[in-house]
Amino acid sequence: MPPAAATNLGYTPPDGGWGWAIVVGAFISIGFSYAFPKSLTIYFKDIQEYFAVSYSEIAWVSSVMLASMYAAGPVSSILVNRYGSRPVVMVGGVMVSTAMVLASFGTAIIHLYLCIGVIGGFGLAFNLQPALTIIGTYFQVKRPLANGLAMTGSPVVLFTLAPLNQFLLDSFGWRGSFLILGAIVLNCCVAGSLMRPVNKKALIKPEKTEPPEYNGGAAEEAVTADTVTQSDTLTEGNQKQSKSQGCVNRFIDISLFKHRGFLIYLIGNVVMFFGFFAPVVFLAPCAKHQGIDDYSAASLLSIFALADMFIRPTTGFIGNTKWIRPRIQYFFSFAVSYNGVCHLLFPLASNYAGLVVYAVFFGFAFGMLSALLFEVLMDLVGAHRFSSAVGLVTIIECGPVLLGPPLSGALVDIFGDYKYMYYACGVFMLVPGIFFFIMHYFNYKRLDEERRQNLAVDVRTCEEAVELKTNPEDKAAHDTDE
Amino acid sequence: MLASWKQLIFQILLLLISCRHINTTSPDPTPPPLVPIDSLPRDVRRAAFKGEGQIEKVEVLNPVNLELVCTWTGHQDKESNITGFWRKDGLEIENSHLTVQLENEQYQLQRVFNIVSEENLGNYSCVFESEVKIDFVVAVPQIGEIRDKPIVTYVGDSGMITCKMEDSKPMPNTWKWYKANGTDKEEIFAAAERQRYEIKNNERKTKLLVNNLTMADSGLYYCGAVYTLSTSMGHVELKVITYFEPLKPFIAIVIEVIILVTAILLFERSRSKKNDTEGDMMSDQTNTLSPGENNGLEESSSMRQRKT
Repeated sequence: MPPAAATNLGYTPPDGGWGWAIVVGAFISIGFSYAFPKSLTIYFKDIQEYFAVSYSEIAWVSSVMLASMYAAGPVSSILVNRYGSRPVVMVGGVMVSTAMVLASFGTAIIHLYLCIGVIGGFGLAFNLQPALTIIGTYFQVKRPLANGLAMTGSPVVLFTLAPLNQFLLDSFGWRGSFLILGAIVLNCCVAGSLMRPVNKKALIKPEKTEPPEYNGGAAEEAVTADTVTQSDTLTEGNQKQSKSQGCVNRFIDISLFKHRGFLIYLIGNVVMFFGFFAPVVFLAPCAKHQGIDDYSAASLLSIFALADMFIRPTTGFIGNTKWIRPRIQYFFSFAVSYNGVCHLLFPLASNYAGLVVYAVFFGFAFGMLSALLFEVLMDLVGAHRFSSAVGLVTIIECGPVLLGPPLSGALVDIFGDYKYMYYACGVFMLVPGIFFFIMHYFNYKRLDEERRQNLAVDVRTCEEAVELKTNPEDKAAHDTDE
Repeated sequence: MLASWKQLIFQILLLLISCRHINTTSPDPTPPPLVPIDSLPRDVRRAAFKGEGQIEKVEVLNPVNLELVCTWTGHQDKESNITGFWRKDGLEIENSHLTVQLENEQYQLQRVFNIVSEENLGNYSCVFESEVKIDFVVAVPQIGEIRDKPIVTYVGDSGMITCKMEDSKPMPNTWKWYKANGTDKEEIFAAAERQRYEIKNNERKTKLLVNNLTMADSGLYYCGAVYTLSTSMGHVELKVITYFEPLKPFIAIVIEVIILVTAILLFERSRSKKNDTEGDMMSDQTNTLSPGENNGLEESSSMRQRKT
């Protein structure tokens, strides 16, 4: 069962209906956010020749874009907290579109850094955060499935954009292609228009439909207990707000840093992201280094993408089953560890068949992790605080995401062999995986204890209230005595 | 007197006889280099017959005495003598017919060719018994790493074309650029038109920058790697288009986005109007909640009032 924080929404999420249109919108937004920077690499060779710069200077465009996307996380969270998902996504779509159109007229490489890198990155951040947040407002019971389906956008859009970009480059050159990509990315506004804010009015039915959260206790007791706890936390929350955090807390929830689950997630993720992207980046070069020809090396990436595409909705579906859902954090820990084991076993792949097997297993591992990445955060902090949480997480993850591939590249250069880099990545993923397993075991125990304590307290307050009600004469007698 | 006339006639006859053996194929536009043939370096290339259509590539840069050696293991029933001859570019070379003896279970045919000018480059073949053939393609190093897709640029923009000779092949002496004019090639002299063309030559790389493009600049551009013997050519196509070309799909997609967004928002407004009318009816009937963003607090306080 999800922890108590998650259900303090104040209403029942629809878990369907317009929610599936939201999933489509999130699919498009998340797809563009993750796939767009990766697919731009196809233009690099032409742009490099045009501006007569080195490859590393061109690669900065992608890095600046990724860095801006992660760094703008908190800004995005603040805006979503204030204005909701829809306007932020539409503004984000317009921003990326403008960035690409401006870049198509660029006359120096610095124009590309500023336009595509900074403005484009911010625009993509304004797409990613709100898309993830709005899923949490529309889904509760089927949330892992919705998350898995929405995250499938990333490999699908990448799969579509890669050949499309090549076609555009051959037909229009890089300038024309940027112009047309600016129009294509405007479809994020369509995704944003789908993101109707959830109608909380129509969904508040506290007596009937609040889901029974606790295993024990009569339904009515549970309902009353829940509303009392809810009101308690809300009044506490309001007092806190008016007292110390005040201004900042209205924008972004800094108190998350005291949240146990959030801290576990953050620490594990920071270590994990060092080894997350590098194996993908180096898959093709490593294959070519082993003597595989260009075409087969490229097809390895396609195999990886297909495995990724298939496993994401499947993971969402599995995460939704009644056996996994209550302990979904263990499923996530398993996914992280599986990634680590996959990389550690990579050096055993010596020929093309071995590499294909590795690509399939790695595709499964990568997809599983990506599908669960934000679902477990939602599970830990609850939909209310998810927006702030994801903003804080992305800006802190900015460092490892950017440093990971260059550090791995340095490892390859020092040792001259790819296997040490894969060992390092494997360790970087296996250690957080085990860390997650251990810490979440303790976390679940603590949460269960807290829930039992809360339940006991509520039962007692209810009993007292009932006593007072049923003995008014005694009370009156007491009063008159005094 | 008669003796001197006889001597003169005899000398003329000798001269005529020796002149017959002088190579009188197509006259050179430039006279061949006056390097004594014996002082040229010598290079040997061997090839053993493996199968039909066998082609060996021979790269030459400077004048050289090239010896080509062909060996063949022969049929099942090996005859002791077979005939062999040489061809250049499909035509039989005169007086190249030889009788080849069977030595060490194989037949061997060899000949020395003087590669001193561009005419001497080409396709040399050794032929055994008019059926077994090995081709030697004697040429200057060809440009391998060249772009096969056209470069697309825009009117008013500038285009950069690059040609590179691989590190594994010898460096050319210099580079030249040509523009295709019908079937002809016209050399581009960057010095003559400094505003339009700029050529940057590196040892292995050359770049042609064409500024201020117009539609007439579209076409094939040839880069030539100049070696002593000949120039090896590579071509790249440059396509110049106007900004209207990508603008058409751009506008089409923008219109599609506007239509979709408007449709979705209109649909939502019509549905919310329906829900509002329904909601009014419902709130009249049930006396439940207060709407608004702070529904949590208000709702809990109202419930508290009801419960306690």
